[in-house]
Amino acid sequence: MIAAMMASSYNAKEEDGHHSGSSSHGGAGAVKSKKPDNTAFKQQRLPAWQPILTAGTVLPAFFVIGLIFIPIGIGLYVTSNNIKEFEVDYTGVDINSPCYSCAKNFSWNSTQSCVCSVNFTLEQPFESNVFMYYGLSNFYQNHRRYVKSRDDSQLNGDLSALMNPSKECEPYRTNDGLPIAPCGAIANSLFNDTLDLYYVDSNSTKTPIPLAKKGIAWWTDKHVKFRNPSGNTNLTVTFQGTTKPVNWRKPVYELDPSEADNNGFINEDFIVWMRTAALPTFRKLYRIIQKKSGTTPTLPSGRYILDITYNYPVLSFDGRKRMILSTISWMGGKNPFLGIAYITVGSICFFLGVVLLIIHHKYDTRNNSADIPN
Amino acid sequence: WSLVSRVPDQIKEPLSAESSVYLLFFLVCFCSTTKYGILTFLPRFLYEQIRRAANAFFLFIALMQQIPDVSPTGRYTTLVPLIFILTVAGIKEIIEDYKRHKADNTVNKKKTTVLRNGAWQTIIWKQVAVGDIVKVTNGQHLPADMVIVSSSEPQAMCYIETSNLDGETNLKIRQGLPLTTGFQTLEDLMALSGRLECEGPNRHLYDFTGTLRLENQNPAPLGPDQVLLRGAQLRNTQWVVGIVVYTGHDSKLMQNSTKAPLKRSNVERVTNMQILVLFGILLVMALVSSVGAAIWNREHTEDACWYLSRAGDISTNFAYNLLTFIILYNNLIPISLLVTLEVVKFTQALFINWDVEMYYSETDTPAMARTSNLNEELGQVKYLFSDKTGTLTCNVMHFKKCTIAGITYGHFPDLDCDRSMEDFSNLPSNSNNSTEFDDPTLIQNIEKDHPTSPQICEFLTMMAVCHTVVPEREENQIIYQASSPDEGALVKGAKGLGFVFTARTPHSVIIEAVSVYVYIFGDKSYFLQCSELIFIATRATLTAHCSSLGDSLRKENELALIIDGQTLKYALSFELRQAFLDLALSCKAVICCRVSPLQKSEIVDMVKKHVKAITLAIGDGANDVGMIQTAHVGVGISGNEGMQATNSSDYSIAQFSYLEKLLLVHGAWSYNRVTKCILYCFYKNVVLYIIELWFAFVNGFSGQILFERWCIGLYNVIFTALPPFTLGIFDRPCSQQNMLRFPQLYRITQNAEGFNTKVFWGHCINALIHSIILFWFPLKMLEHDSPFSNGQGNDYLFAGNMVYTYVVVTVCLKAGMETTAWTRFSHLAVWGSMALWMVFFAVYSAIWPTIPIAPDMLGQAGRVMQCWHFWLGLVLVPTACLLKDVAWTATRRTVRKSLLEEVQELEARAVDPGAAVLRDASGRSLNERAHLLTRVFRKTPSSVGRSNSVQQTVSHGYAFSQEEHGVVSQSQVVRSYDTTRQRPSL
Repeated sequence: MIAAMMASSYNAKEEDGHHSGSSSHGGAGAVKSKKPDNTAFKQQRLPAWQPILTAGTVLPAFFVIGLIFIPIGIGLYVTSNNIKEFEVDYTGVDINSPCYSCAKNFSWNSTQSCVCSVNFTLEQPFESNVFMYYGLSNFYQNHRRYVKSRDDSQLNGDLSALMNPSKECEPYRTNDGLPIAPCGAIANSLFNDTLDLYYVDSNSTKTPIPLAKKGIAWWTDKHVKFRNPSGNTNLTVTFQGTTKPVNWRKPVYELDPSEADNNGFINEDFIVWMRTAALPTFRKLYRIIQKKSGTTPTLPSGRYILDITYNYPVLSFDGRKRMILSTISWMGGKNPFLGIAYITVGSICFFLGVVLLIIHHKYDTRNNSADIPN
Repeated sequence: WSLVSRVPDQIKEPLSAESSVYLLFFLVCFCSTTKYGILTFLPRFLYEQIRRAANAFFLFIALMQQIPDVSPTGRYTTLVPLIFILTVAGIKEIIEDYKRHKADNTVNKKKTTVLRNGAWQTIIWKQVAVGDIVKVTNGQHLPADMVIVSSSEPQAMCYIETSNLDGETNLKIRQGLPLTTGFQTLEDLMALSGRLECEGPNRHLYDFTGTLRLENQNPAPLGPDQVLLRGAQLRNTQWVVGIVVYTGHDSKLMQNSTKAPLKRSNVERVTNMQILVLFGILLVMALVSSVGAAIWNREHTEDACWYLSRAGDISTNFAYNLLTFIILYNNLIPISLLVTLEVVKFTQALFINWDVEMYYSETDTPAMARTSNLNEELGQVKYLFSDKTGTLTCNVMHFKKCTIAGITYGHFPDLDCDRSMEDFSNLPSNSNNSTEFDDPTLIQNIEKDHPTSPQICEFLTMMAVCHTVVPEREENQIIYQASSPDEGALVKGAKGLGFVFTARTPHSVIIEAVSVYVYIFGDKSYFLQCSELIFIATRATLTAHCSSLGDSLRKENELALIIDGQTLKYALSFELRQAFLDLALSCKAVICCRVSPLQKSEIVDMVKKHVKAITLAIGDGANDVGMIQTAHVGVGISGNEGMQATNSSDYSIAQFSYLEKLLLVHGAWSYNRVTKCILYCFYKNVVLYIIELWFAFVNGFSGQILFERWCIGLYNVIFTALPPFTLGIFDRPCSQQNMLRFPQLYRITQNAEGFNTKVFWGHCINALIHSIILFWFPLKMLEHDSPFSNGQGNDYLFAGNMVYTYVVVTVCLKAGMETTAWTRFSHLAVWGSMALWMVFFAVYSAIWPTIPIAPDMLGQAGRVMQCWHFWLGLVLVPTACLLKDVAWTATRRTVRKSLLEEVQELEARAVDPGAAVLRDASGRSLNERAHLLTRVFRKTPSSVGRSNSVQQTVSHGYAFSQEEHGVVSQSQVVRSYDTTRQRPSL
């Protein structure tokens, strides 16, 4: 009823027992002392560590960091350098390149696959497991429209999402009134070139190199994130009532005719594609060439033929397609950046250490001598 | 009834004690000073919050995110942090309001005696209603505004102290109408019946008009002299009976108690300015990105980029893109800054309240920060305006020395010159050294019939009788109710010398000494001078001084200017104002004597307006209210002279000497902390959100985010929320003792060296550099898309999570670098925040599809932590970022060491304080600063001296002489006083 907010509490408080000493004060009971607690916290005397950054104190740190970083950097650089990597661009931009005609004559409607072969030579043998990547350039997998155009519930096997995909998938949500499975632009643009590798020995015999397609996707993706709807029994039935993505030649349950349990949403090529890259130039793991037992290198030096079933158009957006063969170290593929960065930062550290040493000699020592009695 | 009472000049009430009780029951004396009720809290609070520009901005962003397809970060990523932040602010408000509720309760639950049902009943204040007849006894506070019926004193007189109302501690006389004087006994009062008309509630303390219409009597006019106001205290009167006219919020006290004026600190103004500039930058960034998007879209047509599926959607629309980018970059403005600052300042205010060195045990008064907005302003004060007499002397005076017929008596204890010069905080303790005049020669001279003996006797007699002191007897103890402290001191001094003033009757004063004298008081005579002449003289003097100063005008000289109120009137006139200001600013000190409250605030206002500097006004009386409210920071002394100054102040302290700690320690610290906190908040936001801009360059300006949406959303409210708090609450550049010992350190904050446009942009550019490193290093590290030993690839979010982790680590370490004193909370904040993110990361990467949130995060944490690049980068990237900062700090510190840094070093190095003293004693010649620094450990902490100084006697100054509009003049009062008479009791 009488609600007002004008007055502050302090008035009210002060009305109370300011003269609490006077005996005649018939006020509100015993007045508690307002003396603040004398604790370290309340008196702001908490023990504290006070690091002081002067040239003298940070000097050792700089040298130590420099001395640690540079060897690490060298180690990383050497590791990276020891990795063998071979890259071949098969886009077919140049008129002389084998895939020129395939690239040139590409049509969305053609039912005929265009195959081209690229010859290359490995100067050095690839000893351990070799990983085969495909690389795309100028392909904006990190575009917002692209990244969001998927339905993770559908990919997780949710039946309602299968028949009624998320709106994020537009315009690849439905086709001819049927829901698209898998919906969205990412799935729609699945990389569908087929790469086959042959070793050409001295007799010019083409030996196909076995390419393993298992284990190219993250474990969590393969086993948790991507699930086929209602088990794995008969995918054709499961996906009934849905339609394939517009750009696809075959439905999702026929992605891998050779292996039954590599179909549907858990097809590993598909899963790998669905992890969208950070930069417009990227590569994705395609196949693994397991090391044969014994001493023979996985890929001996010599001539190779790469057979490409050219399905994927990139020339319209001035893209490039590459095939990369690479061995792997404990820290992954070939990338000298980390090593160089370590060496650079270490060197800068060292350099700054020297500068600080000079500064220290010029300024700090003078102060110290004034302070320290002899 | 309640309606009527709100219409001025209309209130009418029956005087029958019986009838009034139930009639006016709803107009109870319940008094609430709180801001919110349970129901009003939400709308009121939200309104208050949304009114602030920053919150409104975030609300706008939150609303924009609801438009489909526009927001790059989902629909609720701004709303949820905003709600979180508002919740924190709300909790703070609730705590503050709860305190007010509690304070209200203590007042509302106080007891008083009311005539009800034919008997005196004790009820609580809350239940006092208009029309009640209330009895108040000596020393009690009045529960409501009431009209005097009768009292124990003759002619229904009574004495009240109104310090709660106007700050004047002098006793005021109020007198009931002769008509009602006789109603003293219970029966009389029961028989009292009639009507009382009075004006509606208002805030004029000195006005009251009403009419009393007793049955069978002529109406009698009522004026302010018949009214006792709530909050006043009954003194020197055994009891008084009155009729309640205003209760609760209608009472004059409540009508007068306004909120402390809302002042904004300089730092806040600068911050708001920078937020605006940052908002401008945000718009520019959004614009640049939108233009980039337009260009990109033109080059990457829908046909060419067949995979993008942009057909027909809004991504090519410039306006939508602009909105997208505004949403994307919105957190460049730190969403949590306002609430962080609020909590930080609130805590700082608590620290001020908790400071035991600013607690005055004698009056049980701790320091009180009435507002927390101005904490950092305390660190920037350049001009200090102090009320002179009362404030500086604490109204405690002692008779110490006198000269009679050319002979000086009483010796002054040797002042420790060094000490008093070093800090003024010890002054009160000095005055404490000799409370009494002790010089036996004075008495000896009387006894031994020294030639000047008659003069001495005359002198002492005068001391004992020429005053307006009223003696009160309490069991053989005479308590002097002195009108002013100096009078009291003189009478006490005379008493100590054997001239004891014992009683006063209307016609004589009685002293126990050689003989009894009757002295009649004389009037003060005033000079009336021709104002025109003074004006000319003032101008002449001012111009003469100004011209004589020449070049050093407006620079600080070793000069003091003394000017009195009369002259000031002319000096402050429009014509001379500038000259006066110039002259005043050239002096180290300016003393203005006999100035009116208005002049005080005028001077403050002049300096405030013409000099771009922070002003602080300190005072203890009602006459200081003006300047306290005018100055940037107002400090009230909550001591002897009542509460008016305190109630209008921003900070209240019990002793003038505490001002030193308030400014040099709390002010400087608060400034340091607040500015560090602000700069850091800006820094960390710029670091994270500029990364989105870099990412925009490689993702076709599509507005795609590099991080998971909730990770961004929670960046400010969880993962980097703690470091700003520890910086703002626990950081301290150097210890309290050294802050006090080196007032020079105050100059750093005073000149805003820690927070200005240059520093701010320095931080922003630093953040920019960090963001470049933080974005490009990880992206280059992952460029080959094969960071695992099993050859598998990664995605954009993998890179994003790495970048994010590095950002959190770097930003936390940066907070550590900014921290000068690592308390356990700093460790908790720095390492805890990193750990918090890691834990969150791990958990968050495992919840889908169990909890349908963040499918893109699934498995990220595991993969990131399996990646050697991540761990190697974790060492490299933060190092690369902070390398420059560390080197820069170290170099600057070494090459151009500031005093602060030198003090810090000494503090850190010299664990044994004795070492510095030894060094000094060894006779080594030290430069001035080094000499200064040796003081670090030499002096005992000033707190020791201070705690001894609290044994002063509490004596209220009762300035009878100052009441100007009383019903009876002061001389009449004192003369009519007969302390030998017994008073009637009820």
